[in-house]
Amino acid sequence: MVNRLLNEDITRQVSEFFQQLQEPVQVLFFGSKNNCDYCEDTRQLIEEVVGTSDKLGLSVYDIDQDAGLAQQYKVDKTPGMVIAGRDGDQILDYGIRYSGIPSGHEFSSLINTLVVVSNRDSGLDQQTRDFLSKLDKPVHLQVFVTPT
Amino acid sequence: MLAHQMALESPMVEAEMVEAMEFPELSERFHVSGVPQTTINAGAGTVVGAVPEDHLIHEIQRALRS
Repeated sequence: MVNRLLNEDITRQVSEFFQQLQEPVQVLFFGSKNNCDYCEDTRQLIEEVVGTSDKLGLSVYDIDQDAGLAQQYKVDKTPGMVIAGRDGDQILDYGIRYSGIPSGHEFSSLINTLVVVSNRDSGLDQQTRDFLSKLDKPVHLQVFVTPT
Repeated sequence: MLAHQMALESPMVEAEMVEAMEFPELSERFHVSGVPQTTINAGAGTVVGAVPEDHLIHEIQRALRS
């Protein structure tokens, strides 16, 4: 039996926190068989997280075998994840991605992102929403983080 | 997290969290020294540290003008 990455306490806390989830979320995971030190841990981590709520789904892909899909979702690194909405069979891509394992401090960020996507509400200030609604040029944000 | 919220809010915004140590070449290209560091449009703007919404908006505006 494989050891779980999340202990019982954390699993219970996450599961309780996820009771507020409203709409389905689909996580698209892209791994690789080549030179990917964190792929297996990341896949297991997201599998355990997704398993705590029936509002969450997971699709597992390989960046080489599913190259077209990776390109469609602009995933160019592994482990890579897209946190998307789901409406029936339709995947709603909001442009929300993770590159690398979301562990340590980033674990709580992952949990919060899942909630925000599920509730389809950014929770941002009105002023920020107003600015974003008027954006006419693409904005690509890359947020560099470390696990601790 | 803020970046992800903005991506959800606007179809014009994409937000990627990058684990800096797993992707050293990318981190080096954007001169990541402290985290979190937010790089806007491949280096047109940079914000170091966790900042309030209006601060990030200000930097996005500046990056779009440059």
